Amino acid sequence: MGIVEEAHNLRVIGRADGERGTIVLAHGFGTDQSVWKHLVPHLVEDYRVVLFDNMGAGTTNPDYFDFDRYTTLEGYALDLLAILEELRLGPCIFVGHSVSAAIGAIASISRPDLFSKLVMLSASPRYLNDVDYFGGFEQEELDQLFDAMRSNYKAWVSGFAPLAVGGDLDSVAVQEFSRTLFNIRPDIALCVAQTIFQSDLREILGLVMVPCHILQSSKDLAVPVVVSEYLHRNLGGKSIVEVMPSEGHLPQLSSPDIVIPVLLRHIRYDIAV
Amino acid sequence: MRAELSTIQQTLTPEAASVLTRSIAEAARRSHGQTTPLHVAATLLATPSGLLRQACIRSHPQSSHPLQCRALELCFSVALDRIPGSNPSPSGESGALPEPPISNALMAALKRAQANQRRGCPELQQQPLLAVKVELEQLLVSILDDPSVSRVMREASFSSIAVKAAVEQSISSSISTPAAAAAAVNTPSIASFVTAAPPSAASRFLGLTNHAGPRHNLYINPRIQQHQANDGSCIPAAAAGTAGDQPRTEEVKRVLDILLRPKKRNPILVGDCNLDAVIKEVLQRIQSSDAQPPLRNTQVLPFAKEIATAAPDHSQITIKIRELSSSIEFMIGGESGVILDLGDLKWLVESPSVSTGSGPIQPPVVSEAGRAAVQEVGRLLRRFEEGCRVWLVGTATCATYLRCQVYHPTMENDWDLQAVPIAQRSSSLFHMFPRVGSNGVVTSSVDNPAPVKGLTGMGATALPLRHQPRTNLCAVCMENYERELSRLVADEFLKHSTKPEASQALPQWLQLAKLGSGGGAKSPSSPLQSKEEELLWKQSTEELLKKWCETCSRLHPRFHHQSHVGFGSSLSPPASKPSSVVRPHPRCEPKLTLSRGLSPPRLESSQDAVAPPGSPVRTDLVLGSSKASDSSSDSSHKDRLKDFTGCTPDAFSGQQQRAKIAGISDIDTFKRLFQGLAEKVSWQQEAASAVATVVMRCKSGNGKRRNVGSKGDAWLLLLGPDRVGKRKMANALSELVFGTGPTTVSFGRGSDGESNVSCRGRTSMDRIVEAVQRNPFSVVVLEDIDQADMLLQGKVKQAMERGRLSDSYGREVNVGSVIFVLTADWLPEELKSSHSSLLRYEEKILDSACCGWELELSTADMPGKRRPSRACDDDRPTKLRKDSSTGTGLSLDLNLAVGTDAAEAAEGSRNSSDLTTEHEYDKGRLSINCSTFSLAPDLAELVDEAVTFKPVDLGPLRRSILESASVKFAAVMGKGRAIRIDDDALDRIVGGLWLGGASIDDWAERALVPSLKQLRDNLRADRGVVVLRLSTIKGNRAQQQRRSDGDWLPAAVAIAIDGSHDKGFL
Repeated sequence: MGIVEEAHNLRVIGRADGERGTIVLAHGFGTDQSVWKHLVPHLVEDYRVVLFDNMGAGTTNPDYFDFDRYTTLEGYALDLLAILEELRLGPCIFVGHSVSAAIGAIASISRPDLFSKLVMLSASPRYLNDVDYFGGFEQEELDQLFDAMRSNYKAWVSGFAPLAVGGDLDSVAVQEFSRTLFNIRPDIALCVAQTIFQSDLREILGLVMVPCHILQSSKDLAVPVVVSEYLHRNLGGKSIVEVMPSEGHLPQLSSPDIVIPVLLRHIRYDIAV
Repeated sequence: MRAELSTIQQTLTPEAASVLTRSIAEAARRSHGQTTPLHVAATLLATPSGLLRQACIRSHPQSSHPLQCRALELCFSVALDRIPGSNPSPSGESGALPEPPISNALMAALKRAQANQRRGCPELQQQPLLAVKVELEQLLVSILDDPSVSRVMREASFSSIAVKAAVEQSISSSISTPAAAAAAVNTPSIASFVTAAPPSAASRFLGLTNHAGPRHNLYINPRIQQHQANDGSCIPAAAAGTAGDQPRTEEVKRVLDILLRPKKRNPILVGDCNLDAVIKEVLQRIQSSDAQPPLRNTQVLPFAKEIATAAPDHSQITIKIRELSSSIEFMIGGESGVILDLGDLKWLVESPSVSTGSGPIQPPVVSEAGRAAVQEVGRLLRRFEEGCRVWLVGTATCATYLRCQVYHPTMENDWDLQAVPIAQRSSSLFHMFPRVGSNGVVTSSVDNPAPVKGLTGMGATALPLRHQPRTNLCAVCMENYERELSRLVADEFLKHSTKPEASQALPQWLQLAKLGSGGGAKSPSSPLQSKEEELLWKQSTEELLKKWCETCSRLHPRFHHQSHVGFGSSLSPPASKPSSVVRPHPRCEPKLTLSRGLSPPRLESSQDAVAPPGSPVRTDLVLGSSKASDSSSDSSHKDRLKDFTGCTPDAFSGQQQRAKIAGISDIDTFKRLFQGLAEKVSWQQEAASAVATVVMRCKSGNGKRRNVGSKGDAWLLLLGPDRVGKRKMANALSELVFGTGPTTVSFGRGSDGESNVSCRGRTSMDRIVEAVQRNPFSVVVLEDIDQADMLLQGKVKQAMERGRLSDSYGREVNVGSVIFVLTADWLPEELKSSHSSLLRYEEKILDSACCGWELELSTADMPGKRRPSRACDDDRPTKLRKDSSTGTGLSLDLNLAVGTDAAEAAEGSRNSSDLTTEHEYDKGRLSINCSTFSLAPDLAELVDEAVTFKPVDLGPLRRSILESASVKFAAVMGKGRAIRIDDDALDRIVGGLWLGGASIDDWAERALVPSLKQLRDNLRADRGVVVLRLSTIKGNRAQQQRRSDGDWLPAAVAIAIDGSHDKGFL
């Protein structure tokens, strides 16, 4: 296994011939590839499934984390392209959760040939509110959040995890998210969070020509439902929105019963013209 | 058909229409059933100076050979011959053959052409469909898109895509300004010029994106690469040595070469380190005397610094660049040139003004300034274009360059940029192999990836796959291939050479769109176009490669064989000869693949096929995270308990940690808990002790393990008759452990008036789930669980077993650290029999306390004035009788019982003044009591502990009330007067005090004494009355509504003496 694969804990499982295509599962902030544990079993029969960890996730080597490279999402997009380049699997179905959806979108702009479609789960082009945009966060709130992360990461994790997952403080999902969140080195987590929360993709949404499937929890602390509508309206290519009756920012973890069927549907079927 | 054809003809320009007519005639001549795109293509080709022929000549690298086109013609005629003829029309009239109808494929091509035509002419967009005439070029382009045509062309070793590009090229140039057209005319010269450039220039052409091709993966995180290099035990030491000695000459040379090129001559160093060093060396080299002619005497302008001094405001930048431009003009004067050192391009994609230092990283907003700068510099370059005297050099990290491409899609072309990837120095790998066939120009730019990857353990299996196409070429074919490639590059250059003009001229409608959107918003289609071009380009190069692979394998099978064998170990020179553009995974028919091959069934086509998985695979892990990650300080447990308020996981984990340090502090906590409980429920010392023990045990993780999921939950079952005691116990427990009040869900006759049936659409289970969800660190009291229906009991049981509760929607919630307190009235038989009187009395007390009631004082010699109270007294025996009958196990249908209960609840008769109704209600309730008396047996087994509350003896309390009242009375009234307290009133006071927990003295002082005092004043004259009576009043008055919570006693006592009665309450 090459260095890139190794660094990203890359795993390729499922059908070796990838008869029905290749699916790349990309996790969001504070998690790692284990966030897809509920989804993967349903895919391996039909697809070749590529799992990897974003740089900076708890399971990756912190030495690899380049604080310059990852101050923007493009750094992650380059990583993604590097992986896809290495694998040479042809165009893939990219399932990105949260920030990874944004990363996939960026990557698809410069290499549309590598993506057959993007499935965006809980994606947001911008988390900050703006004059004509509602992202759900004010700058002060984010500053507070970053301060909290800086001052006591552990306490922040125990507060943030249930919020992000959506209530249910001691549920398995919260515990799971807390675990992966806590695995991240605090300074890296702060850098990643800053990058994510300060990102703004609105300008380049129009350049995304790959078909996008936008999936969204009806209640999500990080992404208001209007955001999915915004994505839908502003994406350059075809897109489709489905708001699921789930709660939280990690619905694939917290309400797999609802989310997995929806995900599978969007993976299997294309947007009808 | 005929009519349709005429319609179609009308949509075509005369030229195109004539081509179509001739094609149809050709099809008819060959007596084909349909007119296909092949016919049209053949017709187009047949015109000797036709557009297609020219395009083919231009597109084909060996254009000088007219035979190539001849071959193409032959291929087409063969293809046409292969088309099965229609059933040869038996009719003899050869002169008027029926015109073969237009095939679907051709129809589609015509439609495409029409669409393209309309898209291309904005001024025509509003006009009716027919007004748009498809020009020949458009027709040609759409014909070339046809798969059958492209197949035939490939047979003749033409790339339809390349040809199409050539055609489009000529279209755009014809639209664009005369200057551009002139450039197009100049094709040959430019092309030949560029042909000299090595093939890898082509890869440059596409910038970063293509570099990531088969060579080394430019996207890779440099840190990883570095690590890879450091890892490099596998790197031959010798090679590493040479690499170490060798300075950056390779890169520098590359950069200089680019500067010397006529096109794409502005190098941008892309990489993540050492860029500055390379740039510095390049500039030094230029300024030294040994620079080559065009570069000699050039001056270097530190453009970045100039810009940095300019304010971030974009108007200023514009001005600055204009100033610069004029100064450049001045400098250029004689033979000298100017090199603009752009520095790091970061400033183009990041707004410099917003970095306020300590603040959080600013969002990477592309500033107006960046955009303005891109435009201005582009303008500047165009201004000095002809002299080739102005160069740009700059650096960028991979990320920056990618962002430049994304945010400034036109920049690469406008600025005539050439990305030069600079490899990590430390990863000296790239110099360890002698560059075979390095022809001195940029070829060397990219490095031999195969050995690198092979050596560093890059997927060995992927290796042959990745490089096969290239390595499979023998030297001869490789040479040919490269020549073709360079030709392709030439074409591409040509196309782009019109770009500076075309950037304004090419898509006219696009410009309009740009204007329309105020310039600020980028038109999404413009980058798309360039992307498409890129794609096209990629495809054409691929096709080229594929073609040569095929040719090679056909012509030189021997080499082929050899190379296969030898590949793994050695790199034959041609194999290592780079051709960076190559993307070897074979994609022979890109169009087809994209449109057809990949599209799975439509979303709508079969919804039923989307069977949601019956049971999603659940992999619940046991996660001791909170425990594991706990490194809490050893603050004293008292503090911890105090801090137990709500959801501080720290405190909780601290609690858990007790399991490890179970020691003295444990005992402290236990003591505190026990004392707290015992204080609140003083009459149930044993139960308090038991509860405290159980809670401590559970919280320290030693509770009964029913399930694997949860850890902190505890289930207590409080049995016995002492309703008040149980409730108070739960309250005290909640206060002591969590600092908050408990959430109570009552299933029985609960005095809260809540019933088992759903309340506002929520079932009791929903309420439990909600309570748990709201605060997973709390006490949830399930009151009278024994009166809940079996369904609910089953659910509760399930929750105990699995650690999760599910509400009526099936949503599951983890029970978390909730302490569940279940209460039930059940009492062991022996206790029940021995304490039956106590039980009955408690029952009575509770009942009486629950109703709205008031007290009044009256003179004893006015008997029977208050009938209701007497009636109530009379009522009691019946009730007692009923009560005792319950002991005998009267069983009633559960459904019936619930129905009764519901009906009762609907009537809301609890506080009704109608005594009969109340009586009825009691009966109903009692019957429920006995019917659901059965507590699911395993429920009691599953709980962590079942604590039995002894029946309370309220006698002492009663006595103390009597005593206290007498004392107060004596104190107020003095001697000579007596007070008699009705049993009923006494019972109610007992009940009120017991439930409310107030002390009798407080209450007497607050309520009784003022009345007594008033009475004393009123009675002064009245000598005759010596005995006062304290009795209850019920019914008629307005004060039947429940008193405010926690206040079970009347706040005042009415005085009902003649004449003073109306004064009522104080």
